[in-house]
Amino acid sequence: MKAFKLENEPKITAGFKTPDHYFDDFSAKVLKQINEGEKEVKVIPIYKRKKVLTTLVAAVTVITLMIPIINNYNRTSKELDEATLETYLSYQSNLNQYDLIKELDAKDIDKLNKNVALEQETLEDILSSNPNLESLISE
Amino acid sequence: MRDEKEFIQQLLDPKTQNSAFQILLSDYQKPLYSHIRNIVLNHDDADDVLQNTFVKVFQYLKSFKGESRLFSWMYRIATNEALTFLNQKAKLNGITSEALQNKTIDNLKADSYFDGDEIQIKLQKAIVLLPEKQQLVFKMKYFQELKYEEIAAILGTSVGALKASYHHAVKKIELYVTSN
Repeated sequence: MKAFKLENEPKITAGFKTPDHYFDDFSAKVLKQINEGEKEVKVIPIYKRKKVLTTLVAAVTVITLMIPIINNYNRTSKELDEATLETYLSYQSNLNQYDLIKELDAKDIDKLNKNVALEQETLEDILSSNPNLESLISE
Repeated sequence: MRDEKEFIQQLLDPKTQNSAFQILLSDYQKPLYSHIRNIVLNHDDADDVLQNTFVKVFQYLKSFKGESRLFSWMYRIATNEALTFLNQKAKLNGITSEALQNKTIDNLKADSYFDGDEIQIKLQKAIVLLPEKQQLVFKMKYFQELKYEEIAAILGTSVGALKASYHHAVKKIELYVTSN
């Protein structure tokens, strides 16, 4: 087969045509487009603003990443909740009720009286049904 | 020859802008159309890209610093517009730019704005196989008959590199046409 050589061949044109009179009204078409573009108020939607979008994504990412840290912080907070304290005092501590009573002052007893407001009748019931009544009286 | 600096001033001056832009359009519409058409291959696409090119030229005239000639600056905009258009169209169709160009070449036979024959189609098929830069260089040199200096100013490459690119492109094309 004879090798094809571009320079030996007659010039090959691209073969492209344009519609008749295409260039006659082309400039008018472009100028119209430019004038329309100038009249239009350019509205840039927020999602097209790259900078805003990037900042938004960064902020959301930081907040998302911080959620486990915040949760963990709350959990490891030094303040003990009531249930933990109660459990500790009941099962782990060497404190007994006498130690606790020793720590109470007049104000605390007053508070307790208010909080545990027993009716006379209830008190009588407890006393009458308690077999260790004598020991309690002596205390 | 028109003084380019003066002409650019006319393009920027609101009083003379319209008439100067008309001159710019009539001077460049045909060569730029041919440049764009050689890249996108289809008339309707070339029409869209050419319009966008002139709109961009108008928009960016204010920032044109005159470091290069108006000619090469406009060709650069047209080249970028055409390549961006091709890539976007290919992406939209979910195919590569090369596959899109092959599809367009296959449709050329039925295109009413194409009057080429077998050898022209074969040549286009050979060009598609070239790397993008070689394609551009070959089209600008062979079809549009631009000077190497002009192509170098448009593509921002040295004349030596362009000559090498063109030489490689011609060799590959000749090999393809011979074996197909």
